[in-house]
This record gives sequence, C-alpha cells and structure tokens, in this order.
Amino acid sequence: MKWNIRYRETWLHQTNPSLKLIVLLFLFLAVLFIHNPNVLINFSLALLLLFMFSTGYPWKFLLLLFLPFLLIFVSTASSMMMFGEGETTWFRWGLIHVTEESFLRGLHIGFRALSFALLGLLFSLTTRPVRLFYSLMQQLKLKPKYAYSFLAAVRLLPIMLEEFQTVHNALKVRGTVSHGWLEKMKRYAIPLLSQSIRRAQRIAVAMEAKRFSSSTERTFYYEIGFNKHDIALVALFAFVAAAAYYTGVHYPYIPVTDVR
Amino acid sequence: MSTTTKGLKLADILTTIVIAVIFGIIYKIWGPVYDFVKVFGFHLDQLIYGMWFIAASVAYLLIRKPGVALLAEIAASSGELIMGSEWGLEVLIYGVIQGLLAEVVFAAFRYKRFDVLVVSLGAIGATIGSLVMDFYKGYIEALAPWNLALFLIARFVGAVVISGFFAVSLVKALEKTGVTQMLRPASKEDYDALDR
Repeated sequence: MKWNIRYRETWLHQTNPSLKLIVLLFLFLAVLFIHNPNVLINFSLALLLLFMFSTGYPWKFLLLLFLPFLLIFVSTASSMMMFGEGETTWFRWGLIHVTEESFLRGLHIGFRALSFALLGLLFSLTTRPVRLFYSLMQQLKLKPKYAYSFLAAVRLLPIMLEEFQTVHNALKVRGTVSHGWLEKMKRYAIPLLSQSIRRAQRIAVAMEAKRFSSSTERTFYYEIGFNKHDIALVALFAFVAAAAYYTGVHYPYIPVTDVR
Repeated sequence: MSTTTKGLKLADILTTIVIAVIFGIIYKIWGPVYDFVKVFGFHLDQLIYGMWFIAASVAYLLIRKPGVALLAEIAASSGELIMGSEWGLEVLIYGVIQGLLAEVVFAAFRYKRFDVLVVSLGAIGATIGSLVMDFYKGYIEALAPWNLALFLIARFVGAVVISGFFAVSLVKALEKTGVTQMLRPASKEDYDALDR
C-alpha cells in the first residue's frame, strides 16, 4: 500500500516479492503446527524485532499500526480463556470458567494471531504492488490478464475513495433518514458498485485493444530477478525458526509443551 | 455469445477484481466493527462474520461465470492484505479456502442457478471453509460444547443473512441501474426474444 509516509528502503524491500510471499506463507503454515507456547513466543518476538528494525518506517507510524494488534491479541485470547475446556480451575463465575489449560491455550492463540499479523505486515509494508505483480508474472507465471487487472484495480482505489466521499456528502446534503445499517450500506454500495462496473468495462475494452490480455511472448518494463537479499531472507528465517525452536524447547518460560 | 477465448475474458476478470477490491475495503473496515461487537461477548461477533464471504456471492450473481467467486474472494482478501489488515497473511489463506468452497457449491449447480438458495448454500460453503481454518488456528473444538454450538449457529446464520439474502438484494438493486446487462453472457431468453 502506498502510504503517504516517508520511509527508508530496507533490504526487505529489495527481496524478490514472489519469494518473500512464498517464504512468509510457508512460515504461516508452520505457525499453524506449533503447539508449544514457548516456541511460539520466541518466534513472535523475533518477528517483532524484524518489524521494528527492518521495515524502514518511523516509530510513531509503527506504533500506530501495532495498536489494533494488541486488541486482536486480547480479543482472540480472551474468549478461549473464559470459555475453553480444562481441568485445573482457576476461576469460575457463572458461565465464565477460567482453567489453567484454557488460559494457556488462549495465550497461545493470542500469540499466534500476533505472529500472523506481523507476518502480514512485514509483507505489506515492504512490498509495492507493482513489483509484486510483475514478479508474480515473471517468476510464478501468473497470467498477465490477471496481474494487469489487479494492478489496474489498485490504481482505481483512490478514485473509489473519492467517490465514496462524494456519495457521503450527497447523502448528507439531502438529509437522508436512517433506515437501519443494511439499508444505509446499500445507499453507499449501489452507486459505488455501479460506477465501478462501468469504469471497469471501459478500461477493459481499452486494455484489450492494447493487447494486455495476450500472454504470448511478453516483455516486461520491470525485470525482477533475484539478488543477495533473497539469500539473506531465506537464511535469516531458517535461523530464526531454528533458534526459536531450540530455545523454546531447552529454555522454556512456561512448563507446558503442548496446549491442545 | 463469443466463446473464442478459454476461461474468463479480461473484461470479466477486471470487473470481478474491481468489485472485489471495493469489498476488500469493506472487509478492512469490518475488522474494527467485528472487534467492537466482540466486546459484548457470547459470540455476537460471529453474527457479522458472514460479511467476509459476500464478495464471492455478489461476483457470482453479477458475472455468472465459473471461477469468478473464487477470484473475487482472493482479490478481496489480497486487497485487504495490501491495505495492511490486522489479521495479516491469514486473510489471504482464509480468502482462498472460503472462495474455493463457495465455488464448489456454485459448480455443483453447474453455474445455472442464481437465486437466494444457491447463494446461501455458497455462503454456507464459505463458512465451512472458514471453520476449517479456525479449527487449525483457534482450537475451536476446545471450547465448551454450549459455547461452541452458539459460535457455530451464530456464524452460519450470519453468513446466510449477509452473504445470502443481503447479497441477493444488493444485486437486485444493481440490476435496476442497468449495469448488469453489460456483464452477463447472453442467456437463452435473450436469443428467444430475438426470434419473436
């Protein structure tokens, strides 16, 4: 996403976007199979360090981005803590039943949500859509008609936001009476959707005329390959994963190895 | 109807993605709404979870071609990801699975029916997709039984209401604007109308 915020290009920006996506998706799947909270806590902390020092954004901005994550952490963890099953009761009040097992499981889920969020942010903060889709076409052989459609849609985002503001102002001037939130959503959605469909159709005709839909023997304006940063990326995450696992197993914070 | 190109044409793809990106914005806004409702407890938040399946339903109803439901759900979730979702990479995987299962339902009807029933079933498919992910991620099976039942019922009901009924009424309203005529392939009725 193009934030209007000054940032420094870091080595993460220069890695190959397709490779970065694959590495991060692999880590995502790996996190799903971590059931030891100690390993997960270590892993999340390592991601947090990367987020703080390798994305190249100012501290204030990073803190602002991080706030919703704390909310997610609490909200994800709390419902498992209060309503999960377990044997060692710590606290019971009506339907709320906090046990040692459910508390730890809740904590684990909270950290898991946190690490997913950090993986996603590491990706979206250091990847520009143009490089991503050019790389997907070149390295992963995504069909150009899909990639260019995505890029066109990304470019349309500001226009859509402007239209949203226009509709909002128009409704305000006309002094619409509220009919509940579904009705209200429709009032925004119909003009936005219909305008966008019309625009998309016009752009599609133009793009087809310029042969954006053909996939035979394309040349690309941006050639995206691999460089030393890609090796660093793979090496770093391999090291982080191994270190998180080793310290988690041998120097645990909590004497529990499986929260299930 | 020209069937010279295999699969979706660029116009279909672009329209699907543009619609999906709009829903991507809504998906992003939905995050804080969901968290706000969550505060009330008792899985009330699950009632509004169904909003995250609506891109598939609407795209399917509008464009009526194989593959658009999956594409829409992927595009909406990657739009959400690029905008910096608080759920991060998770949304992409959820999007793929939800879209895939909705697509399976639509394929089971051979892309021939476009009514509330089919779309609601598609929403239920997407819900099952999201539950598969929750099962791995959130250990939902370890919730107390009464709590799990509440959770499941709320999510299914919410999905059918939002991505079934609401999606259909949204598309009905869009049909009145006339834009749907340029999207859909000519149907048999259209050809019959020519013969008359």
